[in-house]
Formats: sequence, C-alpha cells, structure tokens
Amino acid sequence: MTTMISDLDIPGSQSTPTIHSDWQGGRLTMRGDSYPENSYELFDQVIHWVRHFLTDEQRPLHLELALVYLNTSSVKAMMDIFDLLEEAYETGRAVSVTWHYDARNERIAELADEFREDCSYPFAITPVRGEP
Amino acid sequence: MDLLSMRESYQHDRIMLCFNGPISRSLIEEIGKALRNYLDTQKAAPSAAMDVFAVYIEMTQNIRHYARSQGYDEELAAATVAVAHSGQGHYQVSAGNLVERADGERLVATVEALALLDKQALKQAYKQQLRRPRDAEGHEGAGLGLLDMARKSSSPLQAELQPLPNQRSFFSLTATI
Repeated sequence: MTTMISDLDIPGSQSTPTIHSDWQGGRLTMRGDSYPENSYELFDQVIHWVRHFLTDEQRPLHLELALVYLNTSSVKAMMDIFDLLEEAYETGRAVSVTWHYDARNERIAELADEFREDCSYPFAITPVRGEP
Repeated sequence: MDLLSMRESYQHDRIMLCFNGPISRSLIEEIGKALRNYLDTQKAAPSAAMDVFAVYIEMTQNIRHYARSQGYDEELAAATVAVAHSGQGHYQVSAGNLVERADGERLVATVEALALLDKQALKQAYKQQLRRPRDAEGHEGAGLGLLDMARKSSSPLQAELQPLPNQRSFFSLTATI
C-alpha cells in the first residue's frame, strides 16, 4: 500500500514560478521566473514531492517546464531536482523533461542546456514562437 | 539639496536607474520590474536585458544576505545601486554596500582571481560551486553569485574597497554586460 502525498498547486508571483503537480498523471509543471531570496523555502516542498513520487510509485515521471529567469539559488534547487531524476533513471525508471522557452531569448535555452549536460535521461529543450 | 547637479551627474554617466537606501525584498522586486520595463522600452536584446536583470538580482540579493548575516540594522544595510547604459549595447550594473574590512578584502581578492579565468574556466568553477553543499540558510555566500555575474559579463568584474572609520569599508562592484 503506497501513500499518496498531496499535490502541489502553488500560484506564481513576480519572483516565484507557478508550480503544479499531478501525482495520478505523473507530471510536474513549473512556469515563470524564479528568484526568491531563499529558494529552498519554495523548492523544498517540490523536492519532497519528487522524492516521494520516485520512491512510492513505479510509473514514469515527466517534468514540463517553462521557467524563464532563475537566480543562482533557484538554479541550485533545480539541480537537486534533476539529480533526483538522474538517480531514478540510473535504476531503470522512466523520467523525462521538456523545457519550453521563448525563441527570442537564447539565454533560457543556454541555461536549460547546462542542466541537460549533467543528465542522461530524455531532456527536450523546445523553442516557442511568441510567449511560451 | 542640489537636484540639478544630481541630475546632470546621472545624465553624464548615462545612469538609467539608481537607488540609495535600505533595500527590502519587495523593493528589489519593484526596482527590478522598473529595470525590465525600461530595458524593454529601450529595445534591448532579450538576452542582454536578462543578463542585466540577472546581475542586478545577484548583486542586491548578495547585499541582503550579507547584511542579514552580519545582523546589520537598516542604516548599515543600505545599498547603493546604479544601472547605466554605456553605449554600443553595453550596460553597467553597479552596487555598493558597507562591509567589515576583512570581508571586503576577501571579496576584492575573489573578484581579482575571477578576472584571470576565461569563460570555460568560469563555467567549470560555477558548476563546482553549484555542487557544494548548501549552508543552514540555504544560500551560498557571495561565491556562486559572483561566478554567475562574471560569466554574464563581457569584461572582468571590477571591485573596489574604500576604507571608512570603525573597521568598515565601502565595497563596490561593477559588471559590464
């Protein structure tokens, strides 16, 4: 018997992304800017959700991202999340990431690409015309 | 107060935006929003606008973290921030704050060491720093922020330390995007 932890439904603000998780569907979505002073106040619950999903379930997990600007503190928190996915992938779990970005701003693609360098699971970086 | 001479000095230095005083979390966001809107009206390239914004955020958040770690009151925690348009698509972001002299000397030494690294070495150092365990408060000290700013700059970061009475100094940092 597995216990389901509650899904995240966090509205975004000027400095924090909109975060939504779907335990049944095996999906986590995050969109917007992320530059809170202490990113772990926000991301600890996301890291917790991902860890639980990967421990309690055997189903695939997909991250759907449209993150724009991340401060260094948020970059560190996101790296922790991608590392959890990498550990799971290495034990044979199906995990994947799609990161959508505004085609006019290559900085976002560069940021996503630096994360992807340390990941061996499917990690798509997809340009969107106009607003992502 | 001689507002005209302030105005002329800002115009001379092509300062688009500046601030001096105690800096709160919400003020950082509001000034940041004004900065983004301004860069947008100036038709700055989205990547340059994002670099300027990113450097502004790292500088001001570093100042807030430092002031908090030292237990500084509002007056001591005041920041001086200026963003200038230096022509040919380049921007300068500068921020200054009070620091304990020994901390200031360490910061200047760190910035000078970063100036010796090329883009590839900066990236490597950034990735290493990113993988260091976080401290109890969850932030990194100035190291990761400085590396990030150095990576986004088109020339080395410039740091200056001006001694003040009471073992304190004024630390100022300029990044050119």
